[in-house]
Amino acid sequence: MSDTPNDSTLDIRLLAAAARRHSAKPRLEDEIAELFDQWRGSLLRYLSTFGLSQHDGEEVVQEVFLSLFSHLQKGKARTNLRGWLFRVAHNLALKRRDAERKGMGIAADVDSLPHPALNPEEELASNQRQRRLSAILRALPEQDRRCLYLRAEGLRYREVGEVLGMSLGSVAASLERSLARFQRADKR
Amino acid sequence: MLHEDSHLSDRDLLLWADGELSPQRAAGLRQHLSACWTCRARMAEQERAIADFVQLYRRELDAQLPPADGPRALLRARIAERTALPGVGRSVWLNRMRPVRAATVLATLLLVTGAAIRIAQHGNHAAWNMGAMGAIPNVRLTPGATDPIGMQDVCSANVSTNDPAVPDPLKREVLREYGLHDVPGNAYEIDYLVTPQLGGAANIRNLWPQPSLHTVWNARVKDALEDRLHYLVCSGQLDLSTAQREISQDWVAAYKKYFRTDQPLHEHSGRTRFRASPAG
Repeated sequence: MSDTPNDSTLDIRLLAAAARRHSAKPRLEDEIAELFDQWRGSLLRYLSTFGLSQHDGEEVVQEVFLSLFSHLQKGKARTNLRGWLFRVAHNLALKRRDAERKGMGIAADVDSLPHPALNPEEELASNQRQRRLSAILRALPEQDRRCLYLRAEGLRYREVGEVLGMSLGSVAASLERSLARFQRADKR
Repeated sequence: MLHEDSHLSDRDLLLWADGELSPQRAAGLRQHLSACWTCRARMAEQERAIADFVQLYRRELDAQLPPADGPRALLRARIAERTALPGVGRSVWLNRMRPVRAATVLATLLLVTGAAIRIAQHGNHAAWNMGAMGAIPNVRLTPGATDPIGMQDVCSANVSTNDPAVPDPLKREVLREYGLHDVPGNAYEIDYLVTPQLGGAANIRNLWPQPSLHTVWNARVKDALEDRLHYLVCSGQLDLSTAQREISQDWVAAYKKYFRTDQPLHEHSGRTRFRASPAG
């Protein structure tokens, strides 16, 4: 008997192969790469608010996604990955910032944080209103600023609360307080 | 039920706009807002404050965001390294490089960023230069990367003249990055752009699929250049960083410069020693 498949056998094999391809799960590496493309920009922006350089920020983002790979490889929960990513990034950034401060002998003074909107060149280039808004942002407590940053990145109140360890009510109160200060900027 | 004279609090307005209220409560607020201009005007003020903040937050950062290609490829390579079986295909070079991996990654990102800026400046988004038969790697994908090692390491008598073997998952990742699928195993060799002999790093930003012997500027010719640069560096005639830069920017031009010829010398084309890893 010949091993050469006849046409109908070949069709069945091709159909089976196509079905396998169609139903195959995407590789975890590809999934991670897709999530990386989706969230890298947001995470880098958020990390820069810790005063991390772009290179340090990129390195933290790499660590975040390598952690995500391990997390998903172990079959752990896939719910609320956005909140998970920001929480891990937040914690890594805090560690890195604290380590840098210890190395440089700088006290942990959150209000002295460099902010991307506050460098000298930008201060000069900004108009008066923008400078006023920058000053308001700089004057906010760090927790209030972080609520604004995370909300601006699209996180829901529950996710913001999880990243920062706050209750839903505290997140709402923080945002309300900060926005009220911005609103007053034009009334002075 | 809310009435016009009771007005909504700032908190209610914010929670409503952010979709954080229960459907029932949200419906009540919507009804009030449809009737109350005062509350709508206050909500507009709140929206303006949000817009001010978002503008402040994103103003410079978005413009500065470098392309994701390099960092994504680096992430894939690091994942591939993690999933590779420990010890397989790992050489003395790679083991030596483990402690300096963080510094390598940083150096890589610096080079990647520099390359991205060069591409942006010249508007050159062309893929791999197939016109030159791939002799020169795509700078966007393979800008070159080095480890922070000094002259002592480079010129030590213990340094291996053979490049470390590239792990199979990393080879596959390099081919995938260059869009080379289902190519014969002997068509390409995965080669280091900056050779480890000169401090080249064992990561994807320093690896590219070099066409095998059918091209004029092939892996054997590059081996000859690497030996020449290594000799010049270790005899004090050339700075290590200059050698790294020249070989990563255009190794063919570097060959022409250091051998004073426009074509590969006959003895180099016929070399038998091979250091790159077959792609397949």
